[in-house]
Amino acid sequence: MTSPAPVAPDLLGTLRGTPALRPYVDHGLAGGLRAWLEDGLFERLGPRHAPIVRLTPRLLATTPAVAPTAARLRGAMLVQLLKLRVGGHASSAPFDDAALVLGASGRDDDLVAALGDLDADERARLVAEVHAHHEVLAATLPSLPARWSPRCAVRYAIPLAGGAVLLRGDVDLALGASGGSRACVCLVDLTTSPLSSSTDATLAYLALLETLRAGEQPLRVAALSTADGASMVREVTAELLADAVELVFDAVERATPE
Amino acid sequence: MVERLCAPTRGALLARAVAGPRDATCVPAGVRSQLVARLAARLAGDRRRHRVDSFAAELGPARFDAPFAWSARVARRPIGTSVAGLVAAGAMPDALSAAAFEIERLCDRAHRGLLRRGALGAWLDAAPGAVRSLCAVEAATWAERLLRLVEPGPDGAIAVGIPDAWFEVPGTTVTLQGRLDATLRGVDAGSLALLRVRDGVPAASAPDGLVVDALVASLGGQRPTRMVGAWPDAGLCLLVDFDDEAMRQAARLVLTCADAIAASAAPATGVEAIAA
Repeated sequence: MTSPAPVAPDLLGTLRGTPALRPYVDHGLAGGLRAWLEDGLFERLGPRHAPIVRLTPRLLATTPAVAPTAARLRGAMLVQLLKLRVGGHASSAPFDDAALVLGASGRDDDLVAALGDLDADERARLVAEVHAHHEVLAATLPSLPARWSPRCAVRYAIPLAGGAVLLRGDVDLALGASGGSRACVCLVDLTTSPLSSSTDATLAYLALLETLRAGEQPLRVAALSTADGASMVREVTAELLADAVELVFDAVERATPE
Repeated sequence: MVERLCAPTRGALLARAVAGPRDATCVPAGVRSQLVARLAARLAGDRRRHRVDSFAAELGPARFDAPFAWSARVARRPIGTSVAGLVAAGAMPDALSAAAFEIERLCDRAHRGLLRRGALGAWLDAAPGAVRSLCAVEAATWAERLLRLVEPGPDGAIAVGIPDAWFEVPGTTVTLQGRLDATLRGVDAGSLALLRVRDGVPAASAPDGLVVDALVASLGGQRPTRMVGAWPDAGLCLLVDFDDEAMRQAARLVLTCADAIAASAAPATGVEAIAA
């Protein structure tokens, strides 16, 4: 893989770039990638259809780590706070607001229950963490104009090999509209952990999912860590997407040992 | 016949959607009266309100036994439908502004006592500002997803922001609901496809749900030639012809669902009764 772009002080500015310099959409790319994936998966899996192999960004890592509940809770609350920022809600009590909207979201019932089960110490620690991460979020994404068509928690579930492989993932924030002659969709993956060597693979994988889902490649894909405000921005190129296909093949091989 | 499209463009989807049978299938009076009579026979004694829709036809009614409660996830489609309509009509510049406007409108109606208790507007009106903001974002995201798929153009071939189809079964407490998110019309006035959006990946039973939606729309007076199911998370669309065979299949699925409802309403017997 190529080296990532340097940390961007103005994440949104870097993502948008100069509109006139954006690459044209390659309408044959998505179909080609899908055909490559289907052929490669058939070579590796054969005609069998069960059990279903479900891939997520976490499973792309050679040794997938399972996040503890507290970390998942912190991440889920930051995603809710991101949604509130997109909705223009100025949050003066981030933890209370995040807990409120997490409960009203209709999702993550296990995390809502876990939040209710925290003892006083755990809760106080989580409050401090959420406040600190929210400050970084607010500084990095100060405002998101509605004309950029922001979408939150965009989910992907791409079935391949007749449903034997399911590529899953979600992007916390998508900006820009597809359907034009130039690529202009930008994806942002929010994490409360520091960026690591696996971030690069995650970004490539998310770019691949968006390409397969929408039929056209996104413009850029980024990761933002609210732990330290660091960000990583990648241009979506055919090479990046090809890397992602190889990552999928590797992960499928690891998930289906003979 | 089921046709599958991967990440179709607006033009490709429209072209395939209206390429179904030339003659629309209307539910014959005989089939309609038989369906009503059989539903009444199964559920006439049941005084609970039941709604049969494509979810119930695909997954069985037991999945929906939990009491209903509003959440941002549940609210996004009803709000998002209005949002898509407002944006498509050019009444609002973007989906987020339209969502905020629609939520404000619903709250205002609730505030003036124009909505029944338990309605979406009543829930929103009582909810804190943060929850309303979350609902606006979820609804805008939902509407954007629909508009990216089937953005209405000047040709008037596509309409979004449309109501679902409803059919109250006479003599029963059963309501049939057909979920509809867009209509797609061909140049030929006889071609009408109805589109419905779902989360996730289409299940093997997805065509069953689609024909049930088409049947309810047909009972409500529409004459679809094709039903389109869109799964934007997967970038997939399934298209099924709505012909006589599909119509009868849909009627059988509705009756099977009614049987399951009737069975779930039966008093406990045998082992269950002893355990109780």
